[in-house]
Amino acid sequence: MPDFGLVLLMLAGGTFAIRLGGYWLGRRLPATGGWAQGLSALPGCLILSLVAVQLLQGGPAEWGAALIAVLIALLTRNLPLTMLAGILAVLALRAVV
Amino acid sequence: MPWKSDIQQGFRDIAPLAVGVAIYGLAFGLLAAQARMDGLQTGMMGALVFAGASQIVVVERIVAGAGAMTAVLAGLALNLRLLMMTAALREDLSARPWWQVMLGVHLTSDENWALMHATRRQGHAVGYWYLVGGGLCLLLVWVSSTTLGAVLAQAMPEPRALGMDFAFTAAFIAILRGLWRGPRADLLPWLISGGAVVVLVTVVRIEPSWALVLAAGLGAGFAGVRGNA
Repeated sequence: MPDFGLVLLMLAGGTFAIRLGGYWLGRRLPATGGWAQGLSALPGCLILSLVAVQLLQGGPAEWGAALIAVLIALLTRNLPLTMLAGILAVLALRAVV
Repeated sequence: MPWKSDIQQGFRDIAPLAVGVAIYGLAFGLLAAQARMDGLQTGMMGALVFAGASQIVVVERIVAGAGAMTAVLAGLALNLRLLMMTAALREDLSARPWWQVMLGVHLTSDENWALMHATRRQGHAVGYWYLVGGGLCLLLVWVSSTTLGAVLAQAMPEPRALGMDFAFTAAFIAILRGLWRGPRADLLPWLISGGAVVVLVTVVRIEPSWALVLAAGLGAGFAGVRGNA
């Protein structure tokens, strides 16, 4: 395990620098063009990549539960409900698969 | 005092979303306990970082065996979206004293930032203090629920046995639903990112934490180059 204090210092300091840096940049950069479009596409691309990494590390039970979570997210757009459905689905599928 | 009522309104309006944050928080506390963090450390992290998804990524990477630098970079890459969010707040933050700028950017999260913009679109003149009120509510809920989760975890079964290890995947899937801007904007960048993860992890076999940062950069970079063309 890495040292907790070091992780906290880097993550808290880095996150605050990003937050303050955004305000600083916002006053200087144009709000249009390719640079802005790339950054606005970044959150979706990053979270999609994260889900892909997690699913690659899982197996059929996780893949099935992810499919159910996608369905619930599309139908309800509700975060807690999607989490609940995913948890229940993965428990059920792990018992079967 | 108009700023007082704005704080209260922001605090009240965010409450339904705070319920989701509390569930997240309890689950994160369980994960933190897996990384051998105690309640105080977990609460401190919540207050000082206040970016739930990145905290989850960092601690999840550490539990998976990654080093400090790799884990933190994956978390910070996830927080790059905050750069755009606080950039969009420039009119709310300019002409404020430095401590209000620092408080405002630290309390900026997906939920209260999005809610402020949504409330504005419905014709309500809410701004800085509304954002701060929502952020304070989320901070309180996040710190207390993550601390509680970490403390209770010692008396609870292993997270995987509860299916809690999958709670984050499901949460990110729900967040993706909210981030989806339609096929024209997101289909190709998302396909590129997803495909890149599969190739980088299974064929090139690089460390997954780096794969996800690289893949995200490829998808977003494509969106930027396409937008410029």
